[in-house]
Amino acid sequence: MRLSLWPRSLLGQMLLSVAVALLVAQGISGFLLWRSQEQRREELLMNAAAFRLVAPLDDDGPPRRGLRRGFYRIELERTPDFEITASDERHRSREERLRAILTREGFAVSDVRVVTHPIREDPHALNSLRERPRFRSSPELPTRELLLAAWQAEPDGDWMVARLPVREREPRAPSGFVLQTIVLYIVLVGGLALLLRRITRPLAALTARMERFALSRETNGPLEPAGPDDTRRLIEAHNAMEARVGALLDEKDVMLGAIGHDLKTPLAALRVRIESVEDETERERMAATIEDIARTLDDILSLARVGRPSDSPENTELAALTASVVEEFEDLQENVELGETRRIALTVRTTWLRRALRNLVANALRYGGNARVSLLQDKQQVTIRVEDDGPGIPEGEIEAMLEPFRRGEASRSRETGGAGLGLTLARAIAKQHGGSLHLENRYAADGSVAGLTAEIRLPID
Amino acid sequence: MNDEPAPTRLLLVDDEASLREPLAEYLTRQGFAVSQAETAAAARSLLLQESPELVLLDIMMPGEDGLSLCRHLTETKDLPVILLTARGEATDRIVGLEIGADDYVVKPFEPRELVARIKSVLRRASRGGPPAEEDALYEFEGWRLDPVKRRLTDPKGALVSISSAEFRLLAAFLSNPRKVLDRDRLLDLVQGREAHMFDRAVDNQVSRLRRKLEEDSREPRLIQTVRGGGYVLAADVRRIAPEGR
Repeated sequence: MRLSLWPRSLLGQMLLSVAVALLVAQGISGFLLWRSQEQRREELLMNAAAFRLVAPLDDDGPPRRGLRRGFYRIELERTPDFEITASDERHRSREERLRAILTREGFAVSDVRVVTHPIREDPHALNSLRERPRFRSSPELPTRELLLAAWQAEPDGDWMVARLPVREREPRAPSGFVLQTIVLYIVLVGGLALLLRRITRPLAALTARMERFALSRETNGPLEPAGPDDTRRLIEAHNAMEARVGALLDEKDVMLGAIGHDLKTPLAALRVRIESVEDETERERMAATIEDIARTLDDILSLARVGRPSDSPENTELAALTASVVEEFEDLQENVELGETRRIALTVRTTWLRRALRNLVANALRYGGNARVSLLQDKQQVTIRVEDDGPGIPEGEIEAMLEPFRRGEASRSRETGGAGLGLTLARAIAKQHGGSLHLENRYAADGSVAGLTAEIRLPID
Repeated sequence: MNDEPAPTRLLLVDDEASLREPLAEYLTRQGFAVSQAETAAAARSLLLQESPELVLLDIMMPGEDGLSLCRHLTETKDLPVILLTARGEATDRIVGLEIGADDYVVKPFEPRELVARIKSVLRRASRGGPPAEEDALYEFEGWRLDPVKRRLTDPKGALVSISSAEFRLLAAFLSNPRKVLDRDRLLDLVQGREAHMFDRAVDNQVSRLRRKLEEDSREPRLIQTVRGGGYVLAADVRRIAPEGR
């Protein structure tokens, strides 16, 4: 539906509409101008014809302006009969005009005829012209058109026939008009373009700013208002909104920091107090529970903060990062395995990516019982893959698994806990890096689920 | 554990009595003499009366916060400080270490780990050594290790994640370049909070470190195995002044 020539930008659309409107307006006024000129020419032509009819040429008199040239001095013909021949083209509107002129001037009019035909069809004109040596040798002469105006004053009286050369109509546009159009275009479209740029440039800056703000909250001071008042007000309103959003986010960060502190301190106190529990297994269970709460708390705080992480991205070697996460789990005697890796440096937020990977591994261990971690690279992206040999996720539930506080089927039992934030957080972190999180069941040859593959895919910048 | 004749004097600064009191009790049971302060101001006045050997400091406190007191302690008193922090994010830790804290633990910490770290920090403090020298970066074959931030970067400048055990191990190699270090010596050098590390663990840590350092960890070039039990760092090490610090 959309025309490909139609520009998408405000500047382009406005300029194009103005240019089209201007073209139409100039076209109409050009046509009107042409028509009035045409009418004027007709008027002049008929006036000249009438003049010739009523004021026969006097060869001895002083030459009249406009009729000096020999070509115009074809003698008036007096004939008892004016027949219209096949080669004649009769002009009724000119006849009306001529009749009106003659009547206005007080001459009696019985009938008028106006026709055109080529000179070479007109013996009277040829005879008249050939008397003059100038035209005798001219070969182009017979190609001209001749206008014949015939006037009969009395019914059954003689016809007076005047002959006038007709200039052919020139279809080419008058150069003045073309020049005028060009000047108008330059002034109007150019001026408008300048004006529009004054509006659209601040708008473009505002758009860029909003896009950046949506991605990360890193800004350097408010945007300078520019352009006409309307744009200025828009920018000011945006600045106010940005400040408000910033204040809210800051408030949220302070609040989260306080929550973190206020909850972790009593947890730390509890952790110290359980050291006095004599029963070692009991104490370890308590410690594990506290650890769990702390980890969940960390996940919640991270998820709330993931939009605006405090640490800046850093060029990081991903193989070492992957290995170090695997080794953390190895130290906990977990069933993890480091598969194929390769040295790839990428600019990432290290702490966050590490947390995402850690969550995927923890998830694989919890539901699959094992985890195999590998790092792959192709042209566009780096893939950190975590595979387990567990029951996978029922088809159709994969998307739901990524929602906060969702847990897989297996975790409905009490022993595998967890708040179900792990995957949500991993996905949020992958997205924050411009990448994505993919979950997919792996199938064995007999069609049964062989396990789950979770991948963090990051674009290579 | 260690039986020291005179108990080590600690100062514990935390505004939360619910944590401070049980922690003080626990540390006392572990053989330390612990004095407590509720605020940074109280801590400052206590410092005048007593002479603690190490300060445990909560970062988030009403009034003057822990970081500010930490800066005061390390700049004027040259006292070792371990920060207790609620947040586990890297920036907090790095800021803490940059302003001179010797170590940090993230709440909720394991009390035994805290004790291990206290001992490790004290051991390092008693060994002494000019701090300016300690701050200098190690450089070898284009790699750089920042001993303060505990950051390792490869020759292309990319950050390479290493655990604290690997950091200590690497630091041990870098302080003794081109010297053969056997497992006992390495254990000795590395021993800090990983006091439970044993022979096999050394081998394990070395292979992990190789995984991160070497192009091909099956044919190590930087950290080579010496027949008869030991490893050697086959690279020249330079100390260079840290940038921007």
